[in-house]
Amino acid sequence: MATLVKKIQLSWWDRLYFPSVLKGMWITWGHFIRQILTPTSKRFTIQYPEMKKEMPEGYRGLHELKQFEDGSIKCVACFMCQEACPARCITIEAEEFSDLNFTQGFEEKRPKVFKIDMLRCIYCGMCEEACPKDAIWLRKDYELAAYDRLSLNYGKWDLMNTYADTDGKPIQTESSELPPSPPRNFVTM
Amino acid sequence: MIFSILSLTPELSWMLIKVLVCIGFLMLLAPPLTWVERRGSAMIQDRIGPNRAALFGKIKILGLAHVLADGLKFFFKEDLIPKDANRSLFWIAPALAFIPALLGFAVIPVGRSFQVEGVTYHLSLIDPNNGMGLLYPLAIGGLAVYGVLVAAWSSNNKWSILGGMRASAQMVSYELGLGLSVLALFVAVGGYDPHEVILDQVEHGWFLWRQPIGFLVFFVCQFAETNRLPFDFAEGESEIVAGFHTEFGSMKFGLMGLTEYIHIIVASALIVTLYLGGWSIPFNGDGDRWPVLVTVASFLVKLLFMCWVFVWVRWTLPRFRYDQLMYLGWRIMFPLSLLNLVLNAWWITR
Repeated sequence: MATLVKKIQLSWWDRLYFPSVLKGMWITWGHFIRQILTPTSKRFTIQYPEMKKEMPEGYRGLHELKQFEDGSIKCVACFMCQEACPARCITIEAEEFSDLNFTQGFEEKRPKVFKIDMLRCIYCGMCEEACPKDAIWLRKDYELAAYDRLSLNYGKWDLMNTYADTDGKPIQTESSELPPSPPRNFVTM
Repeated sequence: MIFSILSLTPELSWMLIKVLVCIGFLMLLAPPLTWVERRGSAMIQDRIGPNRAALFGKIKILGLAHVLADGLKFFFKEDLIPKDANRSLFWIAPALAFIPALLGFAVIPVGRSFQVEGVTYHLSLIDPNNGMGLLYPLAIGGLAVYGVLVAAWSSNNKWSILGGMRASAQMVSYELGLGLSVLALFVAVGGYDPHEVILDQVEHGWFLWRQPIGFLVFFVCQFAETNRLPFDFAEGESEIVAGFHTEFGSMKFGLMGLTEYIHIIVASALIVTLYLGGWSIPFNGDGDRWPVLVTVASFLVKLLFMCWVFVWVRWTLPRFRYDQLMYLGWRIMFPLSLLNLVLNAWWITR
């Protein structure tokens, strides 16, 4: 079906075009000057590797398995997160353990294997909601890239040390105080 | 001196210097102009633009390294020729586009003439009173359409031929307005040599103020001649891919791209010479008062400003539709330039 386009009758001033063209050029000139005088850190574009976006509250990124102050894992291997996971990316194997310092002689449960396949994970946060012990949290980190599939299959150690560098030590930034936070500050070019 | 070893006469060596400087200037200014276009458009659109390429991985120099990287890339890319293309025409098409673009600059004086030991030196490639004057760049500009047409025809591609046809029709239509607006200027000057035109402007003021209608027509027609937005029908990414250079790759494409920017420089030089007083310095009646280098600098400042206007307009105005372009060319620009001619003719016989 043909669409009838209603023609707008322009006034003679509009049909001169040049006033409007000059007006348009004035606008683009304004944008040019404004953008060129704005320092890089204040421009809309975030220059990614040097500058990083502050993620909004409630952003769901890389998981973290929480620890007690003494460094033992909070997770009790109840399998709730594994059940809740819609993508079926969590693999848990439980084990019993007994340590006089922590368990006062009782047998307790903890994960022997806790794996999350980051390639399957859809970062829905259901595991976080399902966890009765607040042991798994989703953090704001989003830079999850690797050269092979295997290295994105995060194990228990990886998930417990997501604040840490590959050598297990916490990531030190110049302005960081303890506990060390990942570098999320803006770095100007 | 090297000139005495080569047994060159002073005239010949002066000519040699001028040719090298002028061609070198055009070739060296065109690549940075691509940078101006990319960064300028980015700034106009509140973006940042290319700034990642760095010399030796360290020196970023505001993205100027992208120009070098692009050039290098063009040199090392595979030079493909489509199977059913007309091979010989396909080979000479970039040169056919490139050479006329370069030649147009030849008559334009870049600074005031000066005398050393009784010999007058002119700062244009071809000395004044050569009998061609400003007819020469206009004629050469007309030749530019062959580059586009040959490129389009030889690549055996429907998009190319559409782009080439549009470009040729557009250039031919707009050359009428172009020629007539310049004619009015010749009438006012009483000569058609660029030196005379500039000296007249030094004496009586810029033609921008004396013939605003002529300037408007000439300016708009130059956009059509250079195939720039808002009249970029030879390319038109949204409808015919890349138009006449769809099939061109590697350095052939690089040459086509360079041609566009050299066209801009030559068009700007023409506008500056004809309407903005060439090398003259505004609010200064006597052209001989300033040193030669100051006049050259004045010309360069005007030239670069006009080049920037070309970029600026491109990122301000949307494209025309093809029939609107033809309408504008034949029913507005052509009558306007005729009116301008008649008005000026009446003015001088008054």
